[in-house]
Amino acid sequence: MSTKEDPGRIELLQGTLDLLILRTLLLGPAHGHAICKTIERSSDDVLQVEQGSLYPALHRLIKRGWITFDEGTSENNRRAKYYRLTAKGRKQLELETSRWDKLARAIAQILRPT
Amino acid sequence: MRKRRSLTDLDQDIRDHIERETEDNIDRGMSPEEARTAALRKFGNVSLVKEDTWRVWNPVWVEQLVQDLRYCARTLRRSPAFTVVVTLTLAVAIGMNTAAFSIVNAVLLKPLMYSNPDRWVWVANYNRQFKNEFVSGPDFFDWRAQAQSFEGLAGYDYQDSTIATGEGATEERIAQVSNEFWQLSGAQTTAGRLLRAEDQDALLLTARFFERRFGGDPRVIGTTVTLEGRPVTIVGVLAPGFRFLLPMPPAFSDPNDPKEIEAYTPLDIRPETEIRGGPTAVIHVVGKLKPGVAIEQARAEIETIQASIAKANPEWSYGDFQLHVDPLQEKLVGASRPALLVLSSAAALVLLIACANVVSLLLARASARRREVAIRAAAGAGKWRVFRQFFAEGILLAAMGGATGLFVAYGATATILRLSRNAVPRIGEAVVDGRVLAFTAAISMGVAIFFGFAPAISLWKTNLHSTLKDGARTFSASSTSLRFRGLLVAGELALAVVLLVGAGLLVKSFRLMNAHPPGFAPERVLVMTVVLSGPAYAGRPAQEAYMEEVLRRIESVSGVEAAGISDPHFMQGIARVEGIPAPLPGQPRPMVSFNMASMAYGKAIGMQLVKGRWTTDSEPAPVLVINRSFARRIFESENPLGRRIRVPGALGDEEPYATVVGIVDDLKYSKLDAEPQPEVLVPYKQSPFLRAANVTVRVAGDPLAMAPALRKLISEIDKSQPVYDVKTLEEALADSIAPRRFNLYLLGTLATVALLLAVIGVYGVIAYSVAQRTHEIGVRMALGATRPEVIGMVVRQGLGVALTGIGIGVAGAFLLTRMMESLLYQVNPTDPQTFAAVAIALALTALIASWGPALKAALVDPVIALRCE
Repeated sequence: MSTKEDPGRIELLQGTLDLLILRTLLLGPAHGHAICKTIERSSDDVLQVEQGSLYPALHRLIKRGWITFDEGTSENNRRAKYYRLTAKGRKQLELETSRWDKLARAIAQILRPT
Repeated sequence: MRKRRSLTDLDQDIRDHIERETEDNIDRGMSPEEARTAALRKFGNVSLVKEDTWRVWNPVWVEQLVQDLRYCARTLRRSPAFTVVVTLTLAVAIGMNTAAFSIVNAVLLKPLMYSNPDRWVWVANYNRQFKNEFVSGPDFFDWRAQAQSFEGLAGYDYQDSTIATGEGATEERIAQVSNEFWQLSGAQTTAGRLLRAEDQDALLLTARFFERRFGGDPRVIGTTVTLEGRPVTIVGVLAPGFRFLLPMPPAFSDPNDPKEIEAYTPLDIRPETEIRGGPTAVIHVVGKLKPGVAIEQARAEIETIQASIAKANPEWSYGDFQLHVDPLQEKLVGASRPALLVLSSAAALVLLIACANVVSLLLARASARRREVAIRAAAGAGKWRVFRQFFAEGILLAAMGGATGLFVAYGATATILRLSRNAVPRIGEAVVDGRVLAFTAAISMGVAIFFGFAPAISLWKTNLHSTLKDGARTFSASSTSLRFRGLLVAGELALAVVLLVGAGLLVKSFRLMNAHPPGFAPERVLVMTVVLSGPAYAGRPAQEAYMEEVLRRIESVSGVEAAGISDPHFMQGIARVEGIPAPLPGQPRPMVSFNMASMAYGKAIGMQLVKGRWTTDSEPAPVLVINRSFARRIFESENPLGRRIRVPGALGDEEPYATVVGIVDDLKYSKLDAEPQPEVLVPYKQSPFLRAANVTVRVAGDPLAMAPALRKLISEIDKSQPVYDVKTLEEALADSIAPRRFNLYLLGTLATVALLLAVIGVYGVIAYSVAQRTHEIGVRMALGATRPEVIGMVVRQGLGVALTGIGIGVAGAFLLTRMMESLLYQVNPTDPQTFAAVAIALALTALIASWGPALKAALVDPVIALRCE
């Protein structure tokens, strides 16, 4: 549901959000908003997360047992759910990362044949 | 769990997220309003996000099912009559099945409450002559000393005994149990302690008796009460859940009416006094196998021990005995299995009938909803979606029926327990517990699936185009469904026939059991029992004086036609008749029951004299009266009058001979389902036992109205001697066949429900078909059909369905009733009379059920019917 956007930003590919969330949580537990910010910032604001879609994704990951959460309070003393990677999630992240690399290489090869 | 935790606060999470984004935006220099709008835009559609998140946890089909259920609830609310009829039908059927299962569960499935229930066994010597099982004291002690297979062997016996306290005396059933039992069973007490090996005059109360007799006052522990005239000390109270679950087979002296054990005393027999050749105890024995020992091993071991006993004692007829070693649970409840199997099958048939009725209704509804379904399909609903809709309806109806059924089950179980507390061993343990609930849920879901299929299949082939085009009902389609419904109803009737034939056979058995000779009139006879206890009545003169006084007092009451005394369990055994050689061991000998009688006893109980004379209360020489069975079986064609028979029981001296002076007719006055037994009646003053007596009083008016006065009259002779079991002979006889009565009540109820449901089914189908054919009937009448012709047409249709069903049912019953052969009494399972009666009754009922719709059809006004179109 993106509205008028500046052309410098790219919408996320289907399915990559899960991977990015896992990667972000590798840095440590974070609440939902922080995860969005981290993804946007670490891609130099190129990747744009439709923030709402974060929540179904988080729940999907919880259901699969890749992440879990603790109740905590944030910097300005507000209640928040802190999501963090599980051991299973860590393994999955490795798997997904190598899969992504393969895919990226394959696509690059097709687009720019040497 | 995880799902609940994750989904709670989702709203809050989203709100927090947006707030954080807003704050970030403000920090970037936006105005608060702008910041919030931007945050919301960046977040996207909040409700969509929520829905998507919810869907992660709840698959689409669950969501749609909830939707379907909601829709169904709405449509069902719009047709309350349909919903109520279906719910009640299902509630009754499911409730009855649940009740039946709760009984089967308690009696057959639940393990015994004693520790390691599967290791308990019943050990007995079966006497081929007397056809009963018991163990003599010396055998028990030999087994106990020698057998290695058992963790322990326990002997027991039970009888009705007088317990007297300061407040009066009552008669209770008491079990004597040997000390091993308490260690083996793992029984617990709530107060005091269990019985111990060194206990002699100790009494252990059941929780029930403790409440009833001592008001639950723990101070009674340690106090002394009088048991059969001897002081005993109350040592403890058993936990409320504890039950006496040992078999109580009819043996020589055991009372055989079902009653609960109220208290326990130690089994007072000792190896030193139990010597073959002397007076020995007759007991029952249970044992607990050592872990890992197979029952065959134990049987072989006891057999070996028994063989060596027989070899060492050739003078005792051990050849007549056969050793029985059976699992305790099987011994206890095995005999109830056929009856419970028949009852649960009957309940299952009722459920089938109920389902057929409901499906028939659902089909009628489905054809009415043909258009609705077509429209939904036209609007894009897939076939599966429509299909699922019907399943949802089935689930909803079944769930409502099941839930209501639990109440029915609860009531039914309570009623059954109240009516037949002791008719079936362990039935008292029947409760609606988790397993029963699971059963109910399972059958409800089975029913739901069944319900979903029928209408869905009938609509599967619905042609969307033609249904919408025709608008009105199409004849061809609905007549298919009508034919199917006709088949359903025929099936219902067939099942009802099976149930009714089953119940009919039981009713006939019951009638045969209760077929009494004219003049017997058990409803006008009052019976009660007196048992003399205490040292004051140890001597013969005191006993005789008491009995004389009882008779004198009762006979003086106006309204009493005759009063007599007899002995409920005087003795059973072999009759030794002068001039007839004693049979060799192994030769069949009829068991004879010896009884005593006062002069007017025959008149009081309704016995007819056939030949000779009655004995009086002052006979100068030993005499006795025999019954017709005795005359036939022992004397065959010879004249018994003047012959002499030994009266057993007089110990020490040679048992005296008594002369036969009269022959009476056979009379079933103690156990209705037993064949008449050869019987001897000795004048009571010549009886070797006079401690206990049954008092039989024939009255002119209502016996129960006179009961309190008579009871008082007797107890006033000596207040320390209780009068108990006061009831009419009719009640006593009914109690003697309590298990059969239990079967009859239950099967009768189930058959009645089946009949009702089947009648409703027939009525429903015919009425529906008449409604469908109003137009056709109008045309027929316009073309000249007369009203009787229309009535005939409709009734013929109804009878056609009915006769098909009855035919199938009779054939089915013919095959199935042999399952209940063991429950019948002198009735053949394929008794033609019962079959014919049921078939005719059902045909008539079907005729009546289709009569109403037929009359309605005949009242169709052709003008209106045709204008409808």
